[in-house]
Amino acid sequence: MSLKLDNLHKHYAETRAVDGVTVELAGGETLALLGPSGCGKSTLLRLIAGLEPVDRGNLYLDGEDITALSPQKRKFGMVFQDYALFPHLNVAQNIAFGLVELGWAKPAQRQRVAELLSLVGLKGFERRRVQQLSGGQQQRIALARALAPQPEVLLLDEPLSNLDLALRESLKLDLKELLDTLQISAIYVTHDQSEAFTLAERVAVMRHGRLEQVADRDHLFKHPRTVWIARFLGHKNLYTRVHSERARELPVPMPALLHSELVKLSGDLPAELRALRQTGQMCELELFVPSWGITLLWQGFARELPGGEVSPGKPVGLHVPEEAWVPLEEGT
Amino acid sequence: MTRAHSVLGWWLGVGAASFLALFLAYPLTVILWHSIDDLGALLRAASNPYYRERLWFTTYQALLSTGLTVILALPAGLLLGRYDFAGKRLLRSALTIPFVMPTVVVAIGFLALMGPRGLIGFDLRGSFGIILFAHVFYNYAVVVRIVSSFLETLTPRLREAAALLGAGPWRVLFRITLPLAWPAILAAATLVFIFCFTSFGVILILAPQPAFATLEIEIYRLTARLLQLDTAAVLVLAQLLVIALFARIYTRLQARLALPLASHTLPLASPKGWAKLQLGLNISIAILLILSPLLALTYQAFWPSGGLFPELKSFRSLADTPRTIGFAGAGQAILNSLRFATASTLLALFVGFSFAYAVVRAGWRWLDNLSLLPLATSAVTLGFGYLLVFPQLTVSAWGITLAHALIGFPFVTRALLPALRSLSPTLLQAARTLGASPTRILLRIELPLLLPAFITAASFAFAISMGEFGATLVITRPEYATLPMAIFDRLGRPGAANYGSALALSVILMAITGGVMLLLERFGRSEL
Repeated sequence: MSLKLDNLHKHYAETRAVDGVTVELAGGETLALLGPSGCGKSTLLRLIAGLEPVDRGNLYLDGEDITALSPQKRKFGMVFQDYALFPHLNVAQNIAFGLVELGWAKPAQRQRVAELLSLVGLKGFERRRVQQLSGGQQQRIALARALAPQPEVLLLDEPLSNLDLALRESLKLDLKELLDTLQISAIYVTHDQSEAFTLAERVAVMRHGRLEQVADRDHLFKHPRTVWIARFLGHKNLYTRVHSERARELPVPMPALLHSELVKLSGDLPAELRALRQTGQMCELELFVPSWGITLLWQGFARELPGGEVSPGKPVGLHVPEEAWVPLEEGT
Repeated sequence: MTRAHSVLGWWLGVGAASFLALFLAYPLTVILWHSIDDLGALLRAASNPYYRERLWFTTYQALLSTGLTVILALPAGLLLGRYDFAGKRLLRSALTIPFVMPTVVVAIGFLALMGPRGLIGFDLRGSFGIILFAHVFYNYAVVVRIVSSFLETLTPRLREAAALLGAGPWRVLFRITLPLAWPAILAAATLVFIFCFTSFGVILILAPQPAFATLEIEIYRLTARLLQLDTAAVLVLAQLLVIALFARIYTRLQARLALPLASHTLPLASPKGWAKLQLGLNISIAILLILSPLLALTYQAFWPSGGLFPELKSFRSLADTPRTIGFAGAGQAILNSLRFATASTLLALFVGFSFAYAVVRAGWRWLDNLSLLPLATSAVTLGFGYLLVFPQLTVSAWGITLAHALIGFPFVTRALLPALRSLSPTLLQAARTLGASPTRILLRIELPLLLPAFITAASFAFAISMGEFGATLVITRPEYATLPMAIFDRLGRPGAANYGSALALSVILMAITGGVMLLLERFGRSEL
């Protein structure tokens, strides 16, 4: 199933929540919509689901215009941030909700419910009340409920954000495996870049209602388009005219990003160690490069440090390969 | 909570419980003792087909009124619980009007609308229909408020999830919204049933014939007119049993409603298209229902001859009251009403605060439910009980004051409880570490923070005392006649002049009550 968003707009009184979004989702692909809170990514998901009317623009499913279709006719599955499990129904009734609307026979419903429960690893939970479930279990049931009617597209609205860190990490991997197995087209909304990079092959970065960049995850990480995207993705070594007055001749024009993971701590570029912070196995070095007039932050395992004296004030020789430098566009 | 606070709460709790025991439990117990003391009277009354007929009629009219009210109010409740729109707050305030408007004002409003001299042209006085109309007027808002405020707490995500799973609007209504709102609807219906079951004033004024006498009216007739106290006591017993049953159902449902089902902090949607139309229609019904009797009353009071310009004829006639025995003058009645309302409000504030304080600070949770008892007790029964056990009090001004305070204080407790609960204990502990004693903390921290809740509480207590009908009618004496008594008295006399002055007095009573509620709207917390 391929889904195409063509120039979607949604404005509220003062804000342009979604401001001309065009993107395509190939069949079986998972696309992450990544952006800070308030960037319009949840609104965009609600437009796709049909929960909010579109102001302007069109939605196509396999070439068919579904812009005017009501949510119940779109055959999309959605997992809500707060799961929205029906409190008056038990687990099995929740999962079978969509099957009842489709008019499935009781035995077929029962079979499908059991199938999904085993898929999400909650076999035998049919008769539980949803209030008795833990957050992680509720999340899995919400997923099973969305998947039960075999939706064309699965929409996930920050499904892991209400869980604690450890659970989030393990469910993230489970979810990844599930999406890979099912080969379902999915859109995953999140503000967490590690979730986006784990779950999706392609990532769309959203800001102020617009898609700033849509790219394969590796490409996005290596070549963020603008300073803002680079910073949002967590890159530390960014050099702009505003922030680096002292920066002199860099190998690339500013603004630019230096991928410190490609920088080796042995080479002939003279640098001075300004600070060393060690946290367990990991360590972080602040290195000043006099010829460029910049400070760069290097993170890595402590065992990668060169032998001998490594302490603040000491000179260090660096090797910075050409591909470590990536020029960026303005836009902060 | 600090220990000293619970000690203060303990003392206030003991005081509050004693007040309830002395002025509610004691009179009721005496009446009930009367009813079972003489088994002969009990059996005679129970086997008398006339009284059986009264019990049947009371139940029947209450069920019918409840059914009609729920059917009419449910759409508005569902819509208000789902959408937000400009003027919603105003509408919510308007919905409290029927609840606080005095019985006599409402009853005369209905007469002005559909009585013998009514505006719409047909005379429905003395018909079963007018009783149902009045009951729907009173209780429409109860259902709308309970259902809508419950639904507001339900996250809209549930409906959205159902829609994405393929359920259309009607399927969502029947598979999600109604099953979830069911306890709220039942709770509202139970409350409406209790109100209609003990209906007194409106029926006495609008349809006074014996065929429409409820148990409450029969109890009044037996005590005040026929002085058959034994039989009256048996009817009180029957009435109490039914109310107790329904009150139990209500508290059970309340407990279920208190469970957090799926609460949220999302803004409600604005209505669009079809929903806008439905909402507009229902708001119009609500406003028409609430305002039409009051507008009819005002119109007839100021335009007695139906001319173009308002006249003050009805109001002027109040001044030249014939000085006959037992006929309360207008000025005297207004003054009496204001005095009783002020005194009983002060008393209700103290008692209601004591209850709330003991519940929250001393942890006496059982007092919470106990404080609702006066609401489940019929006013006529209360008056009857006072006549029976406090004959000396009822000849003094204390009888009416105490009865009004007892009927009003549950509202005070209701208004203060959430405010007291939301007062953070760390505030009190902070004040404690800064050297304040519990009494000083009460004066410098708690009472100032509770002021809005106190204004709400005082407004309700005052309005209820101004309009109280049943208990006052039983224990009143000519020199203590309140405004509702003076109005009722004039209604019972023939002639257009008496009708005119009843209208004029009703307008005055409505204005005072309305003024108090405006004060609440301006300074208090509007939610109870």
